[in-house]
Amino acid sequence: MIDLDVVVESLPGLMDGFLNTLWLCLVSAILALVCGSLLALADRSGIGWLRVLIAGYTLTALSMPLLVLLYLLFFVLPEFGVTLSSNVVGVAGLALYYSPYVSQVILGALQAIPEGQFEAGKALGVPQTRLMIRLIIPQMLPLLLPSLTGLLIGLIKDSALLSIISVNEFMYASKVAVANTYAPLEIYIVVGLGYWLLTGLVDELLRKLEARSSRHFN
Amino acid sequence: MLSNLPVLLDGLLVTLQLTVMATLLSWAGGLLILLSQLSAFRTIRIPGRIYISLMRGTPSLLQLFLIFFSLPLVGLEGMPMLAAVLALGLNSAAYVAEILRANYRVVDPGQVEAAMAIGLSPLRTWLRIRLPQMITASRPALINEFTILLKTTPLASVVAVPELTYSGQLITARTFEATEVLLFVAAGYFVLAAPIILLGRKLQKSVQSPGGKGVS
Repeated sequence: MIDLDVVVESLPGLMDGFLNTLWLCLVSAILALVCGSLLALADRSGIGWLRVLIAGYTLTALSMPLLVLLYLLFFVLPEFGVTLSSNVVGVAGLALYYSPYVSQVILGALQAIPEGQFEAGKALGVPQTRLMIRLIIPQMLPLLLPSLTGLLIGLIKDSALLSIISVNEFMYASKVAVANTYAPLEIYIVVGLGYWLLTGLVDELLRKLEARSSRHFN
Repeated sequence: MLSNLPVLLDGLLVTLQLTVMATLLSWAGGLLILLSQLSAFRTIRIPGRIYISLMRGTPSLLQLFLIFFSLPLVGLEGMPMLAAVLALGLNSAAYVAEILRANYRVVDPGQVEAAMAIGLSPLRTWLRIRLPQMITASRPALINEFTILLKTTPLASVVAVPELTYSGQLITARTFEATEVLLFVAAGYFVLAAPIILLGRKLQKSVQSPGGKGVS
């Protein structure tokens, strides 16, 4: 029943899509990390109206399905004269969707750091950025990494949705292959294994990093 | 836009049905997978482990396509709703199993010993002592998983289940009013998801509150 020839025949296209998925995910993950950190910083700033704004944005973003967000960016922005390529919409959509999750994780990890450490740093005259880089962030990393790993894996899986707005990534390439070969099961099983390997590898690598980051705490 | 309201409300209803059915499947499936993980036999544990890993390691969209294209092989042709319920429910079941497993140890072994000492059967001990406390401790995570499931339901539009997103697309295709329709669709999900997210946060706080026993 399983015909491997059709898979071999579609392999070049699938590889191409796989590589595109890799860089799309990399760019959107970095963007989400930056935006999420900014959101967390703004939330800790203690400025009233800013915090209300962020709380509203977070709740809206957390209750919006990614597919609907992508459609909004793809179909509604052009009506306001902003026409973006589907690649840009895809990356922006993923980053927008994941940044509130990232910010929540960062805020959670920050809460675990005793307030006294910030006060001690201030009393000793250590500049804020230096305090963060040398003291606070190293302590946050072991708490952050497991959650961030989960989010990154979620992002990789969700990137498959970009195929719906015809971004040429792994899932899109597999749809093209299915349309050419009429062998959905064979193609999708192989593509599934590809995603499984990718997420498994990411999980394994970040677990190593996590073990390294917490080596001083055990 | 107003004349299209009934179609969108119908879609909202289908989204709700889809979410509820998939959630029930995910709870039943999650419990079964949890049991497989607690088994003393490796031949039962390992398939469960692989199932969890596969479900958590591949995109839901792909799982939906695989199920959608596999159903005709067992004689179930043209049933997109069934495919969507199965795909969303079976995917979520893997996460539910992991949540329950993480909270399996909240039950003090002393309680299980006490139940044994007063002659409660193992099954009763499980149902009356372990399970209720496990579920209470898992509530915030289960609610989080429920909102994620709700936010995954638009995928069903890809196989033409007439849920909220699909209804929106139908109207857009006919009237070219993308903005109004999409904003209504987004608002629909907000109305469904936001209260649940807020409830989850409240429960999370009650579980974490200092001195609290994790039971509110």
